[in-house]
Amino acid sequence: MMSNTCDLLLDYFNNQLTKEQEEEFELHLLECEECQEELAELQQLTEDLPYSSEAIDPPSGMKQRVLSNVINGTNTPETEPEPEKQEQEKVTSINEWNEPSRSKKKSWYKPLIAAVLTLSLIGNGAALIYLSNDEETSPTTKPEETEPSLDTIQKMLSLSPSEGVNAEATAMMIEQNNKTNLVIQASDLPELEGEETYQVWVLEDGKPYRAGTFVSNANGNGAVSYLMNYQGKHQFDTIAITKEPNANSQKPKGDILLSSPI
Amino acid sequence: MREHDVELFNRAQAQDEHALELLYDRYEKLLFSFSFRMTKNKFLAEEVVQDVFTKIWSRQRNFDESKGKFSSWLLTVTRNATIDMLRKKKETPYELDERDALHDLGPSTEEQIEWKERSEQVREAVGQLTGDQQEIIELFYFKGMSQSKIAESCEIPLGTVKGRVRLALKHLRNKLSQVNERGGQDDV
Repeated sequence: MMSNTCDLLLDYFNNQLTKEQEEEFELHLLECEECQEELAELQQLTEDLPYSSEAIDPPSGMKQRVLSNVINGTNTPETEPEPEKQEQEKVTSINEWNEPSRSKKKSWYKPLIAAVLTLSLIGNGAALIYLSNDEETSPTTKPEETEPSLDTIQKMLSLSPSEGVNAEATAMMIEQNNKTNLVIQASDLPELEGEETYQVWVLEDGKPYRAGTFVSNANGNGAVSYLMNYQGKHQFDTIAITKEPNANSQKPKGDILLSSPI
Repeated sequence: MREHDVELFNRAQAQDEHALELLYDRYEKLLFSFSFRMTKNKFLAEEVVQDVFTKIWSRQRNFDESKGKFSSWLLTVTRNATIDMLRKKKETPYELDERDALHDLGPSTEEQIEWKERSEQVREAVGQLTGDQQEIIELFYFKGMSQSKIAESCEIPLGTVKGRVRLALKHLRNKLSQVNERGGQDDV
């Protein structure tokens, strides 16, 4: 015989219960031997599965980032994670470009706006972009159904390629909750090797500030959304994209591939 | 001499940075790869690893030696953190290009040698399951889906999900012990 509470076992194992349900189930677990056994069995039967994962090399600098974040007391998880602080310094990559062949110029920014909105709705400044294929777009992420009035586009720029470079890129500055989100979309990018990344910079009188890191996909497309959150007041005059040896450059090391005055 | 995981864990919880680092080195790649297996996303996987070590360092998670191996416990904490992360992100994360993601398993620690051995066996055993069984394990274990989501995805009645999950896992266990036995005899 199973009570309703017993039915929560799988969802308990998969961390899918609300706080109340979880507490209810844990109380139930204390007195239901059947559930205790089944839970132990699940744990035992799944114990080997993590080892089937392919080995992936952690990104460069991960150890240093993680350990310093852990030790230097970004130690208040469980509560709302501090947005933006460390999450904006991430390399973004995309896989599938959204319908690159037709009406690219008109349609590309829609999914990006959706992505920016999604990020703001999640309440998390991670500079990750999820571009979904049209067919897969779920109702909650359809650009048409998001609130267009939340954000205002302050500026749209086309970046010019440097001599000998064939790439294209567009930059958009979107005001969002009194902050500026810089969204970059680039195509025809030269291929990256090893740890190389593309780095976006904004410059003020020749002084560069990091403004997003990304990698290109197999088709040479890349995009990043970056929350511009610098100390003090700035009047940026230039935006540029360089290729860097890794994601950690604090100053541009590579040549400027694309740039535009702001 | 090589310290036990549990000793390092206890010292890390007593704010010993060196112990935390040793423990990190021992498990970084396994936890990262496991979380990547679930999220298909390097950035989420890195966040998960940070989350797991934060929980250890700030003593939010306690390990009970009587309940099994430290590594199993650590992987469970990692899996739960990954499921949390996936739920927060809501979206299905994009898949990274294979060429960016896959690298050779370069064993260097004791854990990684164990991992390599087990990895081949588990994959072989999973490969012997039916497509349906593989799918339900994928959705249940690696995607961490709720029962109702699984029922929806597999188009099966909600009440049958638990039975199917258990059956698939038990089949896997049987295949795995066959693979292990054969491996033992052949001693390749």
